[in-house]
Amino acid sequence: MAIKTVIGETQQVKIASDLIEMGARLQLLQEETTLSRERLLKLYKEIRNESPSKGMLPYSTDWFISWLPNIHSSLFMSIYQFLVKNTGATEVQILISAYRLYLDQVQGIEGGEAVLSITRAWSLIRFFNAKMMQMVSCRECGGNFVAHTNELHVNYVCGICHPPARAGKTNARAKITSQQLNLAEHGI
Amino acid sequence: MNTMELQEGIRDLNLTYLMLAQQMIKQDKFSAIFRLGLSEDIVDLIGGLTPAQIIKMASSNMLLCSFRFDENLLLNMVADYSKSRMMAQTHAAILMASQNVETVA
Repeated sequence: MAIKTVIGETQQVKIASDLIEMGARLQLLQEETTLSRERLLKLYKEIRNESPSKGMLPYSTDWFISWLPNIHSSLFMSIYQFLVKNTGATEVQILISAYRLYLDQVQGIEGGEAVLSITRAWSLIRFFNAKMMQMVSCRECGGNFVAHTNELHVNYVCGICHPPARAGKTNARAKITSQQLNLAEHGI
Repeated sequence: MNTMELQEGIRDLNLTYLMLAQQMIKQDKFSAIFRLGLSEDIVDLIGGLTPAQIIKMASSNMLLCSFRFDENLLLNMVADYSKSRMMAQTHAAILMASQNVETVA
């Protein structure tokens, strides 16, 4: 437990408000900062003008394995591990920086939306620390991708090199594309 | 393009590169390490350069920044245009993040 100083607390408030702006849930904040639950609640309401959502966090590792989430979480995890390796920052600072870089990467491309939320990203890091998940390199491109530990990974091929049939053709996506087509047809 | 123009172009690029790098480092050091692909030592060094030092460094006839991609990565970015642009870029980013940073020997 950190010794309470005014400066230390300001830093904690800064970290907490960064995380809240990114959409973090209360459980994450309680775990990553030394602020009390009451103060976090107050801070959350000040920043987002609403109470934090209640209930359990998503806890399944399987979510990270399905196609689009896997690509996004692999991107985030690659950035995270890069920062762990190459900077001397604390874990929570790296989480914030890595998530910002991930958002920049995804939102910088047209039609891109962030599939991975900050809370999910944080759970992913915890799954890695608990050795429930690991990075596996793809046989074709050599990139590292998120996978369960202790599965058979010898001939692993990633979801980008070999996209599954109908990948990225969900109803929601089809709607967006047809809207874009309509707009293009009307010259807007 | 004659030699004079060429050297002027290189100097311009060096200056732009160093100034952009320094701005990135001052804004957010950790993101800068990722974006520039440089080690923390080099990033600290560039971040601490004075304007006069930057101008001196930039006025060399050699380019200060170098190519970051190996052939595997290049192939991926060029060849994968059949996939959506988003996927190609994400793929390149995943591959790039697993590369090593440039360090001082």
